[in-house]
Amino acid sequence: MKTPSIGTLSFGFVGATVVLLLAIGSPNSRVAPPPAAPTAPPPPSVSARGFSLASTSVDLPTDEGQYPAGPHADVINANCTSCHSASMALNQPPLSGDQWTAEVTKMREVYKAPVAAADVPAIVAYLTAMSTKQPGAAKGKAQDPDPKAAPDVSGGSG
Amino acid sequence: MKLAQATNRRRFLAEAAIGSGALIAAPALAQSMVDLHLPGGPSERPMTSAFPGKGNMILQRIHPPLLETPMSVFNGDVFTPNDQFFVRWHWADIPTAIDVEAFRIKVHGAVTRPLSISLAQLLKLPRVELAAINQCSGNSRALFQPPVAGAQWRHGAMGNAKWLGVRLRDVLDIAGVKPGAVAVRFGALDQPVVAGGPDFAKSLSIDHARDGEVMLAFGMNGEQMPLLNGFPVRLIVPGWYSTYWVKMLNDIEVLAAPDDGYWMAKAYKIPDTPGANVRPGQKDFPAVPINKMIPRSWVTSLDEGQAIAFDRSIPLGGIAMGGDCGVAKVDVSTDNGKTWYKTVLGPDHGKYSFRRWDAQVPLTHAGPTRLMSRCWNTAGIAQPMTPIWNPGGFMRGNIETTNIVVG
Repeated sequence: MKTPSIGTLSFGFVGATVVLLLAIGSPNSRVAPPPAAPTAPPPPSVSARGFSLASTSVDLPTDEGQYPAGPHADVINANCTSCHSASMALNQPPLSGDQWTAEVTKMREVYKAPVAAADVPAIVAYLTAMSTKQPGAAKGKAQDPDPKAAPDVSGGSG
Repeated sequence: MKLAQATNRRRFLAEAAIGSGALIAAPALAQSMVDLHLPGGPSERPMTSAFPGKGNMILQRIHPPLLETPMSVFNGDVFTPNDQFFVRWHWADIPTAIDVEAFRIKVHGAVTRPLSISLAQLLKLPRVELAAINQCSGNSRALFQPPVAGAQWRHGAMGNAKWLGVRLRDVLDIAGVKPGAVAVRFGALDQPVVAGGPDFAKSLSIDHARDGEVMLAFGMNGEQMPLLNGFPVRLIVPGWYSTYWVKMLNDIEVLAAPDDGYWMAKAYKIPDTPGANVRPGQKDFPAVPINKMIPRSWVTSLDEGQAIAFDRSIPLGGIAMGGDCGVAKVDVSTDNGKTWYKTVLGPDHGKYSFRRWDAQVPLTHAGPTRLMSRCWNTAGIAQPMTPIWNPGGFMRGNIETTNIVVG
């Protein structure tokens, strides 16, 4: 669809504003449902001015993935698979113990993950050991400018 | 969407649901693996087509979904197909069913006429269509050196579409913004999965919200958008990063004071420094909410690591974006940035769209070869050679390199 001209738009806008205000004034008004198809009925839809939106229902895959076996795997599997897939942590680059502590702290304090304080050392130990085993960890020494540098605990992860 | 297409879509969804059910038994839904050539961490990811409305995607995370677009997709049309458009959700409580008759968008706060807008009403408002790139703030984060935590995207957390919808300004004008309003906050149907977690919401200044470009989109490349891309309505903020493009938008609140919520005040902040760049590890910098995008470009006609036969000259093609304005020109290099060649730009679909570029360029030698592209936008800003660093892994925009092997 081409963008309408300013003239068309302003004309349409006045009309549409009236339509919208009128429509909002009567909350029970509904668009008539489309005629029933001969076989399975289509999902409910609304349409106007040549564009339709049809109700949608989907199934999202669930994740059965777990953290691989290792010391404290039971603790991290019990705590860190419900809000997000294990892959979120498993795909991270090698992080130091301080950096993993900052991540776990952010999950608890900012995102309110129901992780017991007593479980934090075991979770951090698991993740730090995982980072140490990564190929990037050994050669990445020169890339680690400041071992005390933790990622911004308040930052988003977009 | 026509009735026949809707029926097909429903059938497809049903098949996809059956397909995903079968795949759940297999670990990680992997159909094959892909190497993203990441420098800092695990580099392999599964490919999957188990998500509703989605074709073959790089699986970054199942729950909540993070799906990356394979780079090869960008070598096709400059408009990214809906079924290969990237997916990113913060919280896992995502509605899986939308009733288009019951859905409403609330407009409230500092307005004279609070509204509850149905989709039927929204469809009757004056329409605009705009081509615009939706790019994640953390696109290409996995290439940051030293590495930073967060979703480990390569370059595919972006896409370009023709968005059809209505101007946010028109909706705000119907509601009547009260004097003194300073911002507009956008909320959505997805919810935190834990009590007290910060509900995702983003805001724009009142002037930005009323600039006539920000829109409420219901159409994506001519169809209703996949649920995972924000069906039935998402916010379009042309030229700005995706964090503002709120999906499943159902709440518009006009604010009389700046938004001090977590997602504006704490998250998605960048250093208030040139290029959002700080010394690696640096933490003591003033920060501002991420905002306008910057120019970027990529070689898409050859893949990272690809082997080709030697020829004196080869065709090279790719895409570019200006960021918050158009693409002025793109140059390319086949010798690690020493010599640069002009490219021919493809059709202009508007300043917020991807722009195709193509060139015929010489090769000087066999062996490992570093291909580069450099975009200048219409504001005269060029991509820098040197990568930036910041702790969020946001706003990468340097000249990217595609390593090939010439045999």
